[in-house]
Amino acid sequence: MPNPILQLSEIDKSFDGTHALRGASFSLFRGEVHALMGENGAGKSTLARIIAGATSADNGKLLLEGSPVVINGPRDAQRVGISIIFQELDLFPHLTVAENIAIGNHQFSRQFKQRRFVRVADLDSFCKPFLDQVGLTRSPRCEVRTLTTGERQLVAIARALSMRARIIVMDEPTSSLFDDAVERLFKLIVELKRQGVSVVYVSHKMDEIFRICDRVTVMRDGQTIDTRAIQDVSPAELIRMMIGKEWQSRDRKPIELSSEAILSFSGVTTAKLRDVSFDLRKGEVLGIAGLLGSGRSEIGSVLIGLDRCRQGRISMHGNHLSIGSVREAQTAGIRWVPEDRKLEGLMMQMSIQENCTISDLGAFSRAGFVKRKREYNRTMELFHGLSLKAASTDLPVSTLSGGNQQKVLLSRCLLANSDLIFLDDPTRGIDVGAKEDIYKIIEQLASQNKGILLVSSELPELLRCCDRILVMREGAVAAELTAGNTTQEEILTFATQAPAQVRGHA
Amino acid sequence: MKMNMKSLRVLATLLLALPAISCNRTTSGKRQFFVAFSQANNAEPYRAAQNELMTRLFTQAGDVNLVIADAQQDNSKQIAQVETFIRQHPDLLIVAPNERAALTAVMGEAMEQKIPVICLERDILQPNYTTLVHSDNIVIGRMAGEFIRDYLISKYKQPKGNVVEIHGLLGVEAAINRHKGATDVLAAYPNIKVIADPVADWIQARAKDRMTEVLRGQSSIDVVYAHNDPMAVGAYLAAKELGREHEMIFVGVDGLGGPAGGIKKVADGILAATFVYPLCVDKTVEIALQMLRNPSFHPAREYTVAPQLVTPQNAAELYKQTTLTQ
Amino acid sequence: MSIPVIRSFISFWKRMNGQKQDAVKSLGALAVIFILAVLVSPTTATGSNIFLQLGNLTDVLRQGSIVGIISLAMTFVILTGGIDLSVGSILALSTTVVALVLTRWQHGPSYPLEIATAIFIALLVSTTSGALSGAIIAVFDVQPFVVTLAGMIGIRGLAKWLSNNANVDVGFGQDVASTFAAIFRGKTITIACYAILAAVFYILLSRTIFGRYVRAVGDNERAALYAGLPIRRVKLWVYSLSGLLAGFAGVLYAAENHQGNPNAGVGYELDAIAAVVIGGTRLSGGKGTIAGTIIGTLMIGVLTNMLRLNNVDSNVEMMIKGGIILLAVALQKQGRQAR
Repeated sequence: MPNPILQLSEIDKSFDGTHALRGASFSLFRGEVHALMGENGAGKSTLARIIAGATSADNGKLLLEGSPVVINGPRDAQRVGISIIFQELDLFPHLTVAENIAIGNHQFSRQFKQRRFVRVADLDSFCKPFLDQVGLTRSPRCEVRTLTTGERQLVAIARALSMRARIIVMDEPTSSLFDDAVERLFKLIVELKRQGVSVVYVSHKMDEIFRICDRVTVMRDGQTIDTRAIQDVSPAELIRMMIGKEWQSRDRKPIELSSEAILSFSGVTTAKLRDVSFDLRKGEVLGIAGLLGSGRSEIGSVLIGLDRCRQGRISMHGNHLSIGSVREAQTAGIRWVPEDRKLEGLMMQMSIQENCTISDLGAFSRAGFVKRKREYNRTMELFHGLSLKAASTDLPVSTLSGGNQQKVLLSRCLLANSDLIFLDDPTRGIDVGAKEDIYKIIEQLASQNKGILLVSSELPELLRCCDRILVMREGAVAAELTAGNTTQEEILTFATQAPAQVRGHA
Repeated sequence: MKMNMKSLRVLATLLLALPAISCNRTTSGKRQFFVAFSQANNAEPYRAAQNELMTRLFTQAGDVNLVIADAQQDNSKQIAQVETFIRQHPDLLIVAPNERAALTAVMGEAMEQKIPVICLERDILQPNYTTLVHSDNIVIGRMAGEFIRDYLISKYKQPKGNVVEIHGLLGVEAAINRHKGATDVLAAYPNIKVIADPVADWIQARAKDRMTEVLRGQSSIDVVYAHNDPMAVGAYLAAKELGREHEMIFVGVDGLGGPAGGIKKVADGILAATFVYPLCVDKTVEIALQMLRNPSFHPAREYTVAPQLVTPQNAAELYKQTTLTQ
Repeated sequence: MSIPVIRSFISFWKRMNGQKQDAVKSLGALAVIFILAVLVSPTTATGSNIFLQLGNLTDVLRQGSIVGIISLAMTFVILTGGIDLSVGSILALSTTVVALVLTRWQHGPSYPLEIATAIFIALLVSTTSGALSGAIIAVFDVQPFVVTLAGMIGIRGLAKWLSNNANVDVGFGQDVASTFAAIFRGKTITIACYAILAAVFYILLSRTIFGRYVRAVGDNERAALYAGLPIRRVKLWVYSLSGLLAGFAGVLYAAENHQGNPNAGVGYELDAIAAVVIGGTRLSGGKGTIAGTIIGTLMIGVLTNMLRLNNVDSNVEMMIKGGIILLAVALQKQGRQAR
């Protein structure tokens, strides 16, 4: 039995008073793809960061190829051949793709150390093979901020590859990739395996893990529960290990839709949308599927007042709506949860309570003064309903795990009791347990006769939660499908190919 | 946490080393009188000369511990420094006020605390001092006005000509009175015109810039009268750059000794004349020592030290004298 | 006996949120400097500690009040992620305006009314200057550094132009200007003004909706936009308040110095920023408290007083001040986590 290339044992780590890891352990063989699974706050992201040198453990042993190693930061990690691709990508938006790959990259410096000045051609030639490998077709000279989230993820992976890492840690790598990009990634991982590169694959997606991983380690409450070979374990068993109890999946029951439309788009055209028309009924969950850049998020932008509607009408409850600002949208009863909770959603330094109520402080104040007690009571009520537990609501929201942060954003919509809610990829990077909670909430809201628009990259999720699904392609509606009557393949077909006709199954 | 403790220890050691870093103390054996001197701005050469002379004279005296605080031309700072001196209850407080209005009240507070106060060289709005030692800037202004008049008469055979007056800091008594004295004299001669009066805040570089602007706008200048020597020199340099330094004469005020002072500039032919504006420190130290050593001594309300005209005739001799004693 | 006490203290400490932890740390630092000042303070002939004299301690408060007042509003500006470099110039403008109005007023109704009017005009002018900067920053999205830099230069020019480059002296007589100065230069009134404004701004930041909005905008402006917050209005208000308080400080300055001085306040913006930064507010915005700023102001005041009582050269004083700023920021970094 060959020795593991990487071994961690008895790792402890605490943040802000919470134990993220307690006596955790992990081992990795050469050329292995090893999955790391666990619920919110289980510690898998923290463990991954310790491996990559982004954080340091409070104590414990770290052995690389049998000898102890001290990794004091990302540069050390790079030098010993460990690379991490974060769930929240750490790219520089104002630099180009090539610059992002080459910056701080000692492979690049080594290759071009003769040169006094860095030439754009050098950057291009260095990056080209890796961009091809990940399948990114955009020019290496365009600025990263013009890329969509999924494309940025590809750049991050290309960067790791260019650093010739022996160990690559991927933290939720496919969270914003649509199926065709995911296929490409898997092919890539198989190729890396063949070359002897090891991959630590942190993810929640059961089908992916069973597809490409060799072993899986499950974590819970900061401890390592068990490590098993993938062929020796079943998804149900893994879930049981993760949440410590039995779990059953429930699909959305088909319901009778009322004929009253909450929201109506007719012929809406904006900078990114072309002639979009659809209705959303009361109590309906309408999914929005499509590739990156297909216009799914843009439906939300125009709804919330960020984009201008050039042609067509948007109406709510039958009344024409002209929305000029987010505030106006909120007054009309529209709330949304943006795609990137850290960049666009939360104020990370403010407390959990403050983040929850920030858009509705009027309800908790008198003469401009905030009534903390009232605010506290209401937010605790909401959090209880969302199964959100925190040591104290005064702690900054940055101390919460991804899933809980998302719940805080959702709580804003609940707080406002709004009629129309737009959710943009609400379960991105969230574990099974929290996902279930969120699906429950969506169901609850629907049963209260609210209208819900759900954008998602995960087809199973759309099929599970929605009544109908709108498939977007290149800014226009490619199809309107009934969730009960369609399949992942059909959705994918409409998303990627020219529609023969729109088949309405209303 | 470790970093915190270390930093705090470093900080503590640094601050406890304070007494060692404190400067401007002169020491000797016997009973030490504590004299506090609040100086307006160490950066001005005139004031630097004051500080140096005062330190030397008090050291020679042997029984005085002199502390000098520099207000760096900031009124609030000087007020705060005087307040802090009051807390320490010195045997004598000497103040060279940065500006008249600002320092008046706090000097009154010192008087209320029974601290004897000598007001040095610049007057304040109310007589909140035991004694004022100054030179009369109006006399200087008048002497300057007469010198300019005499020069123009000798040049044109009649009292006419173009004069550029460069002012010091506008709120300061010296600037006000050096202007007034000269104006009083020249007002009697309608053909002697002040064609430009820029402000250069006592600073040579600023005077050079202002003078350059004036030179571009004026084709004929006879006399440049600056309220202090550095500004006069600055004007000279501006004229020299444009090749016009022989067209006019430069008159300044201060007359400090030493290689950088106005007397040397007159000896070298750069300035046509300057007026020794006495440092007033000799007199101050003399009165101070009497006040300290002799409790029954009551100084006069005011001591005026006379100025002296410096021209190429007496410059070389004066330079030798002042440089030796200074 | 001590171990359970220590343990409960540690768990109490860990449960305090980061903001409160920072405040306690700052307070601790202030205590250290205070104790140091007492230790190195010279003593009077009768042996009493000069630093601890009530007169000296109130001196420290008074001397710090003017920049202290400016720092209060600067905290808000910095919390939104901005900066205001024009406060020193606004102070100069305010001193000039109030002195000009009072010294030129020949036949007024009554002294209190005249004084109130003069102060009102000065405050109006100052607030307008701040609002102008705020409007440009909010509406045209120009960087605050640049806009307030322009303000710093332009407003001082205005002050100098109004007074014809001269100081406007206020005498010691019975006229309205002298009366104004006599009243407002008093230690009690100056300290009271600072204390009241500090309390007002403390409440404004920690208890009101506006305070929340200020922090939210600085924390994550995009998220604040998406959450429907009135970002433009917040920015406009924050710079107007900055102008208002700089104007207020200017009125007190004019009384203290008995003059309107268009050259006043040079460098005050940096002193104010120093107090805010030492008090724990980050320049990137979103994190900070008024309590911290007050502590920062007091720290600088006590430190300066300690150095002056020991007759340390003023240039050494400045070097030490610079060192303290760096030290304060370094200590704050220790408390931050990797997240």
